[in-house]
Amino acid sequence: MASPAEQLPPGWAAEWDATHQRYLFIETTTGHTQWEPPAAGSAETENAPPAGVTPAGGHGKRRQYAAGQTQAYYGGEAAPDPAYGQASAGLGVQQQGGQLFTPGLAAEGQFANQQQIAQQGGGTQGGYYGQGEPEYLNQQPQQYGQPPVDALANQFGQMGVGGQKQFSLYTTNLLTLPPDPRDLAQPPPEIRLPPNACISPSPTANADPSYFRSTLNAIPTTSSLLSKSKMPLALVITPYRSLNEGEEPVPLVTDTVIARCRRCRSYINPYVQFIDGGSRWRCCLCSMTNEVPQLFDWDQVRNQPGDRWQRLEMNHSCVEYVAPTEYMVRPPQPAVYIFLIDVSHAAVQSGMVATATRTILENLERIPDEGERTKISIICYDTSLYFFSMPPGSTDSSMLVVSDIDDVFLPKPTDLLVNLAEARGALEVLLGRIGEMFQENTIIGSALGPALQAGFKLMTPIGGKIIVLSSSLPSHGAGALKNREDNKLLGTAKESGLLQAASPFYKTFAIECSRTQVSVDMFLFSSAYQDVATLACLPHYTSGQTYYYPAFNAARSEDALKFAHEFGEVIAQPIMLEAVIRVRASRGLRMASFHGNFFVRSTDLLAMPAVPQDQSYAIEVQIEEAITIPFVVFQTAVLHTTCYGERRIRVITAALPTTSNLSELYSSADQIAITTFFANKAVERSLTHKLEDSRDFILQKLVDIISAYKASMTSSGAGASAQLAISENMKMLPVLILGLLKNVGIRQSAQIPPDIRAYSQALLTTLPSQLLIPYIYPTFYSLHNMPPEAGTIGEHGVILPPPLPLTSERLERHGLFLIEDGQTIFLWVGRDAVPQLIQDVFELPSYDALRGGKATLNLLENQFSQRINAIVQKIREMRRGVYYPHLYIVKEDGEPPLRLWALSMLIQDRADVLPSYQQFLSSLKDKVNGASGGY
Amino acid sequence: MGGAGWLFLFAVLMAAGLLFCMVFFIIMFSDLECDYINPIDLCNKLNQFVLPENIAHAFITILFLISGQWGSFLLNLPLLAWNANKIRNKAHMYDATEIFRTLGGHKKETFFKLGFYLISFFFYLYKMIVALIAESE
Repeated sequence: MASPAEQLPPGWAAEWDATHQRYLFIETTTGHTQWEPPAAGSAETENAPPAGVTPAGGHGKRRQYAAGQTQAYYGGEAAPDPAYGQASAGLGVQQQGGQLFTPGLAAEGQFANQQQIAQQGGGTQGGYYGQGEPEYLNQQPQQYGQPPVDALANQFGQMGVGGQKQFSLYTTNLLTLPPDPRDLAQPPPEIRLPPNACISPSPTANADPSYFRSTLNAIPTTSSLLSKSKMPLALVITPYRSLNEGEEPVPLVTDTVIARCRRCRSYINPYVQFIDGGSRWRCCLCSMTNEVPQLFDWDQVRNQPGDRWQRLEMNHSCVEYVAPTEYMVRPPQPAVYIFLIDVSHAAVQSGMVATATRTILENLERIPDEGERTKISIICYDTSLYFFSMPPGSTDSSMLVVSDIDDVFLPKPTDLLVNLAEARGALEVLLGRIGEMFQENTIIGSALGPALQAGFKLMTPIGGKIIVLSSSLPSHGAGALKNREDNKLLGTAKESGLLQAASPFYKTFAIECSRTQVSVDMFLFSSAYQDVATLACLPHYTSGQTYYYPAFNAARSEDALKFAHEFGEVIAQPIMLEAVIRVRASRGLRMASFHGNFFVRSTDLLAMPAVPQDQSYAIEVQIEEAITIPFVVFQTAVLHTTCYGERRIRVITAALPTTSNLSELYSSADQIAITTFFANKAVERSLTHKLEDSRDFILQKLVDIISAYKASMTSSGAGASAQLAISENMKMLPVLILGLLKNVGIRQSAQIPPDIRAYSQALLTTLPSQLLIPYIYPTFYSLHNMPPEAGTIGEHGVILPPPLPLTSERLERHGLFLIEDGQTIFLWVGRDAVPQLIQDVFELPSYDALRGGKATLNLLENQFSQRINAIVQKIREMRRGVYYPHLYIVKEDGEPPLRLWALSMLIQDRADVLPSYQQFLSSLKDKVNGASGGY
Repeated sequence: MGGAGWLFLFAVLMAAGLLFCMVFFIIMFSDLECDYINPIDLCNKLNQFVLPENIAHAFITILFLISGQWGSFLLNLPLLAWNANKIRNKAHMYDATEIFRTLGGHKKETFFKLGFYLISFFFYLYKMIVALIAESE
């Protein structure tokens, strides 16, 4: 489709109009001209200018960009074009098209054609961003062109690879197709199971991507096929994700009839087969024949025969069972929370103690305590330990000081760990007083280790959660750490040493904790070096989480608000206690390695003393023997005690088809899951090897994938090629990998303090995809010229402006922009911003009066301010997790560190030694083509 | 029986002891793989043996050095350096949190040491006999 001229009905001619950047259609006989293509013309001609001409005016309604070199590059992004024809439901289901890429398809025209189709696949919504909030991008084009199917339909027939299960593979050329942030919101490639694989017609019979994602949605049958494709095979599971408002809770099977396979111990699920008239079932994982339990067809509530097809576990991929006593080693434990509060001079001065106690006080009501069994204790520490004894029923509490920190003991056998409901009064009084009690404390130093041991002793018989708030480097007693920060090491090979644990205490203690079902959460506040890398070990192996507030100062209301919000959410979270997770899979597949916050207790069992919500785990899968079945099943079982005192099993079943076809393998790849897995892999490698190795490793993986793709899927084979081809569904992978390479966690730089790096690595390994992807590839909005509906309430809540590609080309001197990565929000103000804009948003007379830095936006009496506030609010709420991003105002000519920080989020730009996206692609191309070229 | 004879008799016994130690390690590792033992107990158990094993090996090597058995000393030197380097990097103990990720490497190392002790066992035996024959002549 080099020119639309060939597609016109007879008597028509098309002419490219350079000033309007679109085709002018001329009826040759009458001389009549029109902008719209004549009726019989193909719909998408409008979007296909001749090579080299920019269709920038295609969205003249929205913005007009200056023409330029890069503009030409980004010009192809022109997606939401209302003139598109009939809607089609996205890429995955364009079956009628069947544009299989064939290795023989090398002609430029056809290649361009494919890209054309590829662009139209712009996306059904939902998926990655969860069911509750599919409107991450409200600006998505609603209408797509009907692909020009006829031309290629014959080819499809000739190839003889038809069949409804077939994935269609679309190849895109990365060099000509700029990344479009909207593609990240697309759902993963469709899972196409063979017919009759599932015995339930329910749409929830296969796991939702928010619970379970696989890097490949079609599992290769042999390991040689997998290694030929160079694709990673891994699962990304988030078994305990939070539910948004309006989402159905996980269905609960209450009758304790739990049908499990005798051999592989998997749970019955919608993918089993009933045989022998329904009296037995065949396990879908190991093909073992099992008896159906007698009570399976009995409705115990109404005491009458029930319908097994209506049972919840036969219709839902994610169910919870109430576990009978066989699944308990002891009666369900109550939830126990112990707060270790640092009250040393630094902590009090920063206002952390006051904020923390107030937050606990305010959230006492929200601590999960349905059966009034929850226990709570507060221990303060500086270089001594301060226990608080709260006899039930009274409102008095007495402080007991233990200054012998070498051999920690509990000063009193009772009343230190108290029942929340019974000691409510005393707790409230105490929490109100702690702040002033230590107000004059001038002791410097922290006995964190002994405090941990004390908390551990206190809860040993039960287990639970220790929440540590610490403002300084542990300096006394067990677990004391030295300040090992050395700026000379940064950026060198020795830097990874700073990211490893400095003291074995935190590892051995973590193991003890894991054994006694104690989980530790760390809240760190220091402005100086705190050795986050070492302290984060404890949450890492006890399935907690690390939260880091560098240079916390409660005098800044933004700091206090952020901490109070996140801390409150963590306290209020319903947690799973005493949990173990096991992932089972069909025969031939083995879980090879595990990434995330837990302790690996045996080859396939993950021990988690407490499971927080919205943590993700990555599991690498190995193909041990050839798979002969048409589909495989992965089953994640989480045996846990709810914080309401019930033993339960959560089972998440996911079925994926198998394939022996390389093109199907590529077309089923899920770029989001791949990136999540690589993020985990990169962090692991940066600890065991060097940071540089981890970057090289990730880059090499990408090069391998693209080379393998080129060799097997394109006509150029192993030879050099002018294109950089990858399948349509993986076209964002290079930019995501670039984002990962530029992430604070593993970026090449000599300026990143080890604490910040370690925290970022902790995030990279725990965030679920929904949070991780923006963390790697931030979102960038232009606010000063957003569409009129952005910032107003739409069908799915607040409408967000369309995201822009992450390049500073898009920054304008008079503009207002927003960049956010889920952890921070930057409001970028151009230096020529008109006073009216500054007045509307910040209530200040002019740009010069504006100050950069952390800020709170006031809601003003004008529409623009309200819309921007609504957008910021939406960004803070739209994702799962407890995080409450800070808002920074960045002035274009403001302080350099803040400006550079904001600019470092624009990952498609060149920064320092790090390449821009185009440079990255051309170095990729050189590597793929085997030429010597480096970046 | 002279000095060299006694020395190699002692070395044979030590090599046999180390051999058994390695067999024990391998059995424990396969127990871990079969889930008969949890990683915490495994590491606690094995870590008791790591240093004694290294010290025993270093002791024989130094004995060879003192008594001027250059061949035997050079044979043991690489392993001694390997062990010393591990201790210097504080990487000689088994870490329960990482054990599943490093298990392959540990097994490889243990198998290698097993083979090495087996070879040195026969080598010392041969040397002992040679020394005894040389003496009796």
